[in-house]
Amino acid sequence: MHFLQADRQLLIGLMLLALSLVLSGCGLLSTGSLLQMPGGPARAIVDNVPFFAQEELQCGPAALAMTLNWSGVTVQPSDLTPEVFTPDLHGSLQSALIGATRRHGRVAYPITGSETLLAEVSAGTPVIVLVNLGLSWYPKWHYAVVIGFDQEREEMIIHSGLNAYEHLSFRVFENIWQRGAYWGLLVLPPDRLPVRVGEEEWLEAVAGLERTGQWQEAATGYGASLQRWPNSFVSWMGLGNSRYRLYDLAGSAEAFQRAALLQPQNGMPFNNLAQVLKSQGKQKEALSAAQRAVALGGPLVGNFRQTLEEIESKER
Amino acid sequence: MIQKIIKPVSFLLLFSFLFLDVSVQPAKAQMIGTHTVIAAQKQEASRERVTAFLGRDDVQRALVQRGVDAAEAQQRVASLSDAEVTKISQAMDQLPAGGDGGLGTIIGAVVFIFVVLLITDLLGLTHFFPFVNHRR
Repeated sequence: MHFLQADRQLLIGLMLLALSLVLSGCGLLSTGSLLQMPGGPARAIVDNVPFFAQEELQCGPAALAMTLNWSGVTVQPSDLTPEVFTPDLHGSLQSALIGATRRHGRVAYPITGSETLLAEVSAGTPVIVLVNLGLSWYPKWHYAVVIGFDQEREEMIIHSGLNAYEHLSFRVFENIWQRGAYWGLLVLPPDRLPVRVGEEEWLEAVAGLERTGQWQEAATGYGASLQRWPNSFVSWMGLGNSRYRLYDLAGSAEAFQRAALLQPQNGMPFNNLAQVLKSQGKQKEALSAAQRAVALGGPLVGNFRQTLEEIESKER
Repeated sequence: MIQKIIKPVSFLLLFSFLFLDVSVQPAKAQMIGTHTVIAAQKQEASRERVTAFLGRDDVQRALVQRGVDAAEAQQRVASLSDAEVTKISQAMDQLPAGGDGGLGTIIGAVVFIFVVLLITDLLGLTHFFPFVNHRR
């Protein structure tokens, strides 16, 4: 009897304490009004996002598998676990999801904010979101995939945990996503630009493919970027580098020449052009390109000199 | 006896490896990579690139310490840009690792947290318990 009473008092005390904690952190209270997209559709749902129920602690691999399969890569969550899961952290880091996306030849494009999220989902792209299902001081980090929304009913539609097509009110979603710093990730085929895309962000995302040796996909990504921004110096440089790795020497030389036209005072395209010309056996042209690079100088002039020396040494 | 030697020897090895890695970095005759092109367009100092380069080893080691297979850790680090590596190397344990992390061990704390989260769940501030319906 005594025990029960004490228990109840403790419970009431705890509830009061909890309530005061909640109310003191008033930044937590959100009305969900941030989730609006003026001029956008009232509702949207992305087709062809397969659902994978997650194993314990494996929301990272599950979320990534859903988006990768949507993008055309056939893969199971269990295949992704060794690539993204960190055992002692009991979870998967955001950077691991990014790296694994690249290893499967897809562009990892981070986004932030509700408006961008709704815009991308409206355009038919699923978005991985990092949410904190608990509280800032007692976090329960979780990855889910946003696949749709309904503005009239104020609901988000997500694949999450063990639930496919879970409907979550905007208000709750806003609260848990806010605690995840509004971080989202697009997993895109390299020829598909996000609707809200920045040139620099896209190029950095595509260059990430180079790091995992996905040269064909990188070349496709730079090609897509040039359709959007025909005068993008970095895109031509990236295209030149990717084609060189794919043994398309003529295409590579052309790309570096286009880059050189865009920034004639920059030694980098001439240095790389010299390397390509050397590989093509065009000794004379290689020499003049390397000399041009050295003459233009800049912080990488040391590299340019090495290139020149190497080409000269072949001459003797 | 061996234990006495191990420490200085391993430090010596570690140091020599550091020097080996760094001395390989500068001027080589090769293509200027797209990452360097991007960095140069943003006018980032080359010094930053060196620190990030050292950061790669740190991150790799940290991942192995946290249970990731060594070869896998190397591949993970290789798949990231310098800026991304720098971000992790600064504070791996403070970063969110999505995995629906487990509960604490002290029972009193568990009860307390359970009650708090139940209330916040009912208020729609959190989405901790699957049994709390959040469909409006």
